[in-house]
Amino acid sequence: MEYYLQQLVNGICLGGMYALMSVGYSLVYSIMNFSNFAHGGVIMVGAYVGYFALTALGCPFLVTFLLCGLGSGILAIIIERLVYSPLRKRHAPSLYFIISAMGASIFLENFVIAVIDGTPRNYPEIFNQYIHIGNLSLGYDSLLMIIVTAVSLLLLMFIIQKTKIGLAIRACSYNEKAATLMGINGDLVIFVIFLMGGVLAGFAGMLYGMRFIVKPTIGLITNKSFVAAVFGGLGSLPGAILGSVLLGIMEIFVASWNSAYRDLFVYALLIIVLVVKPSGLMGKITEDKA
Amino acid sequence: MAMLEIKDLNVFYGGIHALKGISLEVEQGQIVSMIGSNGAGKSSMMNAISGLVKYKSGEIIYKGEKLPTQANKVVKAGICQVPEGRLIFANLTTYENLMIGAYLRSDKDTIARDLKRVYEIFPRLEERKNQIAGTLSGGEQQMLAMGRGIMSAPDVIMLDEPSLGLAPLLINTIFETIKEIKAMGKTILLVEQNALKALSVADKAYVLEQGRITKSGPGIELLKDPQIAEAYLGKSK
Repeated sequence: MEYYLQQLVNGICLGGMYALMSVGYSLVYSIMNFSNFAHGGVIMVGAYVGYFALTALGCPFLVTFLLCGLGSGILAIIIERLVYSPLRKRHAPSLYFIISAMGASIFLENFVIAVIDGTPRNYPEIFNQYIHIGNLSLGYDSLLMIIVTAVSLLLLMFIIQKTKIGLAIRACSYNEKAATLMGINGDLVIFVIFLMGGVLAGFAGMLYGMRFIVKPTIGLITNKSFVAAVFGGLGSLPGAILGSVLLGIMEIFVASWNSAYRDLFVYALLIIVLVVKPSGLMGKITEDKA
Repeated sequence: MAMLEIKDLNVFYGGIHALKGISLEVEQGQIVSMIGSNGAGKSSMMNAISGLVKYKSGEIIYKGEKLPTQANKVVKAGICQVPEGRLIFANLTTYENLMIGAYLRSDKDTIARDLKRVYEIFPRLEERKNQIAGTLSGGEQQMLAMGRGIMSAPDVIMLDEPSLGLAPLLINTIFETIKEIKAMGKTILLVEQNALKALSVADKAYVLEQGRITKSGPGIELLKDPQIAEAYLGKSK
């Protein structure tokens, strides 16, 4: 029993990290209708920001954490300005966006290899204590991960559901033309979604670094958070969060049964979802009354 | 001086010359109707004013100055379009849709006052304020689109085919509402295929055919015009 509970906690940690990443995919998809594969690169750079802030600058945890968010947030906006904005101005088809996103992702990976290097690095240990609840032992880092993830996601949901810019984002996600006719500045909405997605990507990058290792290719691992976003329903934030947590839990249980099946399971799920229910668990509403 | 004046406006869609040098004037407080068949260029004209479509040449003068060409600045300046097909936000509640209308406004008191006014004009919307707008009926969605337009506190409200796809009884209601909006002191530019209704409420009307304005005059006069009667009102000579 304890074993399963422990695995459940691990699954929630992993799922929470996926959630921080997948909401970025979902936010961009909900407004711009393409999968922003450069997001993985943004997460990876966030993980590096955290690594150097901790090792070279000796920043405390909280400062490092905020720096990761800031670094990735700025990077996400730079990518939007340099890569997507020109395509938007030309009303390019979404395929152009996807290909450019992949290009940006590969660029970032190689940029890091060229400027830093390709060797995997370990974060210094920040927290090594455990707390025990019954027979369950919970690492401080896991606990922190769950708290940070929950707070960030709640804050995001608050912004989306309760603020004026959130209302504008939801309006744009349904119909950009109508939103424009109501005086909403589409450029501002896009700026905000890239900023929010980027900041959360930076947080995710740091959490990833704390738990695993940092290397230029970790962006690829974030493909799983993309799977989670599809599973939950691309374009839906609650969907992305639900899909992520479920995927994290399922992945951990599959891995604990036989770790060779771990990725096989995740990508099989992607294919099954796309074939059987492409809108995922709670996909974007697309029907409209004429 | 006219509230809104269009001079020799030319719009191209790719290779298609959609608007071929149209000119028109909208006086403050009037209802100006534009009638014409499908594809005559009515929506192109509205979208050019709203900044959704770039125009190649010509001028749009609003309150004596050149109208901005960026959509959000047009709304800010006081011109709001209620688009064809309503384009309400089906994923948001009725109330949220109305608040999107007030997106560029910040004065809470006047927003609350206008919201009250919208609910007076359309009591249905108040009954359904927390309902997801996608579940409203077609007529209610049209009311919501118009209410949302009013919430932006425009001086000029442009209605694109407000009667499209509605039952005759509802069409009457919508046209009664258009008169109410006029009574609020708004200037209205109305684009309609329902020529009889559009001409009946119009202070002034224009006929648009294949991108050109072919006739203009007071609505009542155009109603009596035999050519218009034949082409748009389904009456034989």
